[in-house]
Amino acid sequence: MENYKYIGQSVQKIDGKEKVTGAALYTDDLEFGPDLLYAEIVESTHAHAFIKNIDTSRAEEIPDVLAVVTGKDFPFKFGLYMKDRFIFAQDRVRFYGEQVAAVIARTPKAAKLGAKNIRVNYQPIDAVIKQLDSIKEDAELLHPDLENYVHVPWFFPKDKTNIAHHRKIRKGDMDKAFSEADHIFEEQYEVPRYSHCAIEPHAAVAKFDLSGRLTVWASSQSPHTQRHIFAEALSFMGIRHNDVRVIAPHVGGGFGSKAGVTMEIIAAAIATKYPGHPIKIIWNREREFFNTYQRPGVITKLKMGVKNDGTITALKHELFWDAGAYVEYAANVVNAVGLSAMGPYKVDNVQIDSYCIYTNLPPTGPYRGFGYSEFLFGLESLITQVAHKLNIDPVKIRRINAIKEGDTLAYGAHMNPNGLHQCIDKVAKEIEWDKKESSPHKNKVIGKGFSLFWKAPAMPPNASSACFLKFNEDASINILVSGMDIGQGYLTVMAQIAGEILSINPNKIRVENPDTDRNPYEWQTVASHITWSCGNAVKNAALNAKNQILELVARCKYLPIDTLFLEDEKVKCTTKANFELDLKDFIITGLQMEDGTFKGGPIIASGTFMPQFTSTKANPETGQGGHPNVHYTVGAAALKLEIDTETGKMKILKAVEAIDGGKILNPSLAKGQIIGGLLQGISTVLYEDMRFDHRGKMLNPNFTDYKIPTALDIPDEIVPILVEVAQPDGPFGARGIGEHPMIPAAPMIANAIEDALGIRIKSMPITAEKLCLAILNSSKTNINNK
Amino acid sequence: MKKINFILNGEKRQIYVEASDILLEVLRQKMGLTSPKCGCDNGDCGACTIILNGKSVRSCLIFAIEIDGMEILTVEGLSKNGMTPLQESLLTHNSFQCGYCAPGMILSATELLKVNPKPSVEEIKECIAGNLCRCTGYQPIIDAITDLTK
Amino acid sequence: MPIAHDFDYIKPATMEQTIELLNQENKRISILAGGTDLCNMLKNGFRVPDLMIDIKALHELNVIKDNNTDIFIGALVTFSELINSDIVKEKLYILWEAAHKVASQGVRNRATMIGNICSAVACMDSAATLLVHNASVHVKSVNGERKIPVNEWFVDNKKTACLNNELVTGVTLEIPQKKYASAYEKQMRYAGEDLSQSNVGILVQEDKTYRIAFGAVGPTPKRSLKIEHFLQGKELTDSIIAEARQMIETVIAPITDVRSSKEYRMQMTKVMFERGLRTAIERLNNLI
Repeated sequence: MENYKYIGQSVQKIDGKEKVTGAALYTDDLEFGPDLLYAEIVESTHAHAFIKNIDTSRAEEIPDVLAVVTGKDFPFKFGLYMKDRFIFAQDRVRFYGEQVAAVIARTPKAAKLGAKNIRVNYQPIDAVIKQLDSIKEDAELLHPDLENYVHVPWFFPKDKTNIAHHRKIRKGDMDKAFSEADHIFEEQYEVPRYSHCAIEPHAAVAKFDLSGRLTVWASSQSPHTQRHIFAEALSFMGIRHNDVRVIAPHVGGGFGSKAGVTMEIIAAAIATKYPGHPIKIIWNREREFFNTYQRPGVITKLKMGVKNDGTITALKHELFWDAGAYVEYAANVVNAVGLSAMGPYKVDNVQIDSYCIYTNLPPTGPYRGFGYSEFLFGLESLITQVAHKLNIDPVKIRRINAIKEGDTLAYGAHMNPNGLHQCIDKVAKEIEWDKKESSPHKNKVIGKGFSLFWKAPAMPPNASSACFLKFNEDASINILVSGMDIGQGYLTVMAQIAGEILSINPNKIRVENPDTDRNPYEWQTVASHITWSCGNAVKNAALNAKNQILELVARCKYLPIDTLFLEDEKVKCTTKANFELDLKDFIITGLQMEDGTFKGGPIIASGTFMPQFTSTKANPETGQGGHPNVHYTVGAAALKLEIDTETGKMKILKAVEAIDGGKILNPSLAKGQIIGGLLQGISTVLYEDMRFDHRGKMLNPNFTDYKIPTALDIPDEIVPILVEVAQPDGPFGARGIGEHPMIPAAPMIANAIEDALGIRIKSMPITAEKLCLAILNSSKTNINNK
Repeated sequence: MKKINFILNGEKRQIYVEASDILLEVLRQKMGLTSPKCGCDNGDCGACTIILNGKSVRSCLIFAIEIDGMEILTVEGLSKNGMTPLQESLLTHNSFQCGYCAPGMILSATELLKVNPKPSVEEIKECIAGNLCRCTGYQPIIDAITDLTK
Repeated sequence: MPIAHDFDYIKPATMEQTIELLNQENKRISILAGGTDLCNMLKNGFRVPDLMIDIKALHELNVIKDNNTDIFIGALVTFSELINSDIVKEKLYILWEAAHKVASQGVRNRATMIGNICSAVACMDSAATLLVHNASVHVKSVNGERKIPVNEWFVDNKKTACLNNELVTGVTLEIPQKKYASAYEKQMRYAGEDLSQSNVGILVQEDKTYRIAFGAVGPTPKRSLKIEHFLQGKELTDSIIAEARQMIETVIAPITDVRSSKEYRMQMTKVMFERGLRTAIERLNNLI
């Protein structure tokens, strides 16, 4: 590998100092002066009902209440991939907590009091809570007009049903493959909904000024996409894209919840009804749980054909997604999983049916892992069960089947270069896979679990990134991009990329979160694609700047351009040892010629990137023919779990996770993703347990009863391992790793439990309670003899 | 409205508050100090942590009117004369990701280090257990604090 | 989240003034000490007081007093102060243990044990201590002072024997005059901050008398005299413990809620009973 100066170094985060001094400003921290107004929403108290009427009169009489806005003010649908939502409920509500109206007031107290005094008269309809009920013949339809909804061309809604999308994959000959298999295994698994739990709740401030300009400040992963959706939704007012400006300050955690558009559109819309004032909406923690996106739940049915030697011959994978009341984003989770539910294995015969099902529960959408955690729980559990039944080591069966570069994917394209086998070997070694361990404590047993994982960015085929780069007088740089640093360290890595190419220390490069007026286009900060995609745009911009600099010097100093290079903020020459020009002496002011004139001028560069080999054009019946995914990031993980057999309490003594991120641009930040992401995954297995009552009301929308881990609940040890098989089209060979670390957590814990106790748990979460009751109920297993 | 006097980050301040005003909201909206954050508004997450008379407390669970005559420290005050060794260590360890929990976490750890300059890993975990972080898995934060004890 | 309604605030300087203020029948009054519960109740509109009385100027309530045969803990003593008290650590180990498991440092620095027993929610951590130390709760009003035995204090879930015009000034905890040791066990969903889904308090004495309290497995926390009588005077062999453990099924009636199923509460109470008992015995045997 090349010898890099900044790439591959654990550079300190460029926004680190802001964050440890309290200087970092988040949306709710911004100052808007004494004219700031506040809005509070009125929430539906039914999961499914017609709205008969809304009485706003009492609220309007409260002092300091300025306006009340309801659905009739905005009778237009919006959505990212499928327009199935309204800004406020129209004739019906479809989940408990849905926004029905908003009150705009001078003070937060008045807004709260106003919202309390709005009376909504409902006529309840049968609520459909479970996805398998929702696809029954006689199920109440949530969206009777589904056939008229506008959606992307790769979705296939089924009219007059609650199925918003059905992704099909048909590859090979299933009948033949199953008949030729030595063994066939069938299992069903269930994964419930989860909540992102970013510590910063959603926040948005919008101002529609008296000239007709709409500015929205929002805690967002998607400033440009939000601008696009606001502009589209408000186009009836004659608003164009450049009339809308989205400013995105620091984001206090996203994990997918702040992608696309959720509550921000309420701020944008109501601002147009009360022009001239900034209006703030802050989501409280409850709403953060039930009115942003949740991670969708899924029931998966798997059927696997296997040879005696462990080779997988066929995989049938059906996925029934509980996608909630609106699926404008979730339908693409369902789609992405439909394309990839083969898992990181070479399987020649594959049938996948991934169903996006409407239910009267909160809308679901993107969540770190984008469906892969959910389907891999079943698949990675099943492969371990198969290994045990065939008496093959669970790691060995994975080595036999793990995918390699060039293998055919479920949709017919070929697998990118990857280090999956390296990951398996390194993890097995670090966790001492072959060593059986027992606990010195009475009532405690130890088990080990293994899991593979993979994930591809799920995005439109033409999602793009762009960068402006400008030099300052002292050769420091400002880079303008529109990805979001949601904690992952993206801004730092962009500075490293530009710094490497221009030979400038990243600490002299300022990269900040965007303002859509000033910063160029970025699709969204999702899909773990931003290092790869925006990194390429920054790289292109830096190369463009470098070229401008060297051309100028070559022209003015009469030197061949191919002898010039950049080093430590200077232009140097390979053939003239003494030649040296400080960038700061000419980067803005230009180079002075012998006649006293100046050549050049401020160096300003731009770069863009869009993948040009992707396509979603495929046969809808087979999924074959397109190239929907740009590449997959793969990895392996294992852990050592100690179980208290009397209480069911589990402690992770050691966890190991290897991930192939291509060229790792910043090891410290990459390891940070593994340690943090893995804990988020572990939390979905051991602690988080979302509850709804039979009416669809969430029962634990708070941290008191929806438990996310504290510092006392972390594994004793996590060993992150970075594998680097370069991504050919990535910046310096990099590919994304942001979402992946959490994906293997659930199956590897389930696998470790089976290893320790012989008990197989097929539904998440696996809380101490669930495990304890399973132990009590398992008569056939004599734990004490284990 | 009642007049209250208190010391905020070393400076004497005097303001008028209603009995129902929550301290977190007064600090953020009236005093312009935004480092205490609202994460859950219920005392569960610790993002609103401040130091009141030397003790870390949840400013979302305190009425502003109660603090008459008391002394408050926020991260703005802590950083006034440059970063503390704790902040430096957190910075060099790339301990934080989104940073929203950082002010609360820093103040909890500041309280601990003041009474116990060489805490064990278990004591560090116990001390920051009331500050929820969803990004980091806590280990990089624990490492940064542990480094200070060496 | 703002509190949507307004109310008056008074911070009286004396006890006399405080109980005078409390003696207003036509007013809804909330007492403010640590405020960690009260603040949320007001934000959520679960309580809508006309007047909030801040008792933090009553410094005489900020004491932990060792009277040899008993210990008085005042209404302003926070959980952090309990943790930092040598008296508590030495003589009320069960309370010291329980205090560590209350919420987190930032809450413990404000929250008081008296606030905890006044809220009287099923999941409170302080009740076990009060029960095994035969506590009495001191209340004061214009009509004088009352000492309410702990077994009469908890009337129902969130309901105590305290009258509207009474101020709880503290509790007295009886200190056994024989060698004794205690233990607190708490069912939590994880190691971090959590409300107890059930809890067990144990106090053992050198004369083989045992006090056993169960929390969060019925409308109020309670002692189990049945198990105590069974164990009375017995050497705790494995089979005796197993038998006592089995009796738990007849003495508690846990429910299922969002935090735990009744089956798991039952199992955990049994496990915690056994582990707590063994821990307490071990501690007793380790005493000099």
